[in-house]
Amino acid sequence: MTMDKDIMIEAIDVNKEYRRAGAIIRALADINVTIKSGEFVIVQGPTGCGKSTLLNVLSGLDLPDSGRIIFDGENIARATEDRLSRIRRQKIGFVFQDFNLIPTLTAIENVEALLWPTVLREKEIENRAITALRDVHLLERKDHYPVQMSGGEKQRCGLARAIVHRPRVILADEPTGNLDPESEKETMDLLKQINKDMETTIIVVTHRASLTSYADKVVSMDKGAILKIK
Amino acid sequence: MYTILIFWTSYSVELIIQEGGIGIASTSFFIALGVGAFLSLLYAWIIVSRNRKTWATLKCVGYTNSDINSLVWGFILFTTIMGFFIVIEVLFHYMAIVGYWQAADAAVNGTVYNIANLPLVSLLPVVVTFIIFLFLQILAILLANRKILKVRPIIALKKVGE
Repeated sequence: MTMDKDIMIEAIDVNKEYRRAGAIIRALADINVTIKSGEFVIVQGPTGCGKSTLLNVLSGLDLPDSGRIIFDGENIARATEDRLSRIRRQKIGFVFQDFNLIPTLTAIENVEALLWPTVLREKEIENRAITALRDVHLLERKDHYPVQMSGGEKQRCGLARAIVHRPRVILADEPTGNLDPESEKETMDLLKQINKDMETTIIVVTHRASLTSYADKVVSMDKGAILKIK
Repeated sequence: MYTILIFWTSYSVELIIQEGGIGIASTSFFIALGVGAFLSLLYAWIIVSRNRKTWATLKCVGYTNSDINSLVWGFILFTTIMGFFIVIEVLFHYMAIVGYWQAADAAVNGTVYNIANLPLVSLLPVVVTFIIFLFLQILAILLANRKILKVRPIIALKKVGE
């Protein structure tokens, strides 16, 4: 199979259905989308339109019923769970709406935790975590626990965790959903900066139309289908 | 809780050795063993169930099932080993109190004690109990492994209340 080197992720004829309370819900309907390396993509649409399902499928967290997901040249729709874990560890950074920081670990430990199962030495792990925290302007809070941080700071810590292993793609599911407008701007500016400085492909799922100004490409969805890509 | 159980089991083993394996001591030993097994399984279940979102998040960011299992083994074995350190500390105090009380009784009332009949716990029962409890942890670890396999990374993306 030949593939354009610039293409980071490609979804081809992807379908996904859920069964809920006896009814079949078509979460993704014949999805075809191409995301190039270094692009800032926003997947936008109303609640329940299938945008989070698309994110899950693109990252290998969920498998499509049919179709292919070509991630960095590899069809991950048929990959084993262990292979998917390794792809996520090496190539993907996640940013969550609820931050998902471990409450018993400090900011720096939360960032380091991502590298603990790797072969890196303790000092190297610490250095990388410090660099990542500095990149998101959170170094002065490195010894604070999540409970001692504001929502914006928690999300910046989440961002540091997402970039510490220098992934090729960052996937963010409603990253500003729990933030005030000021922290929302701060988080989106940081994502844009990471996109520019590290040439990381960024995919943000959001229902907020106001965030589309950050994007190189906007994928609009409704009822499991892509309405338009611009 | 573990400390009490380990102490209880050690003391029961000590009595079994003294009595020859019959009577109240063996009943007490089996009760302690049953409670120990139940608590080990309960602890493993709590560790996995109460931290499902954490395990799911770690799976999301690239931890494999075996990476997470290693963490859970660490938690379970750490608790057991810490329980033993505390038991050893408690045993020192326990034996000092028994010794002090009997020495005082001997000085005031002239009671004569036979050292072989003192309610002390020697090293062998503690070591035997330690091995038994480590074995019980294997059951707990097996349960934890099964439950961790069932945690789907996608749970990490669910919003609060979903």
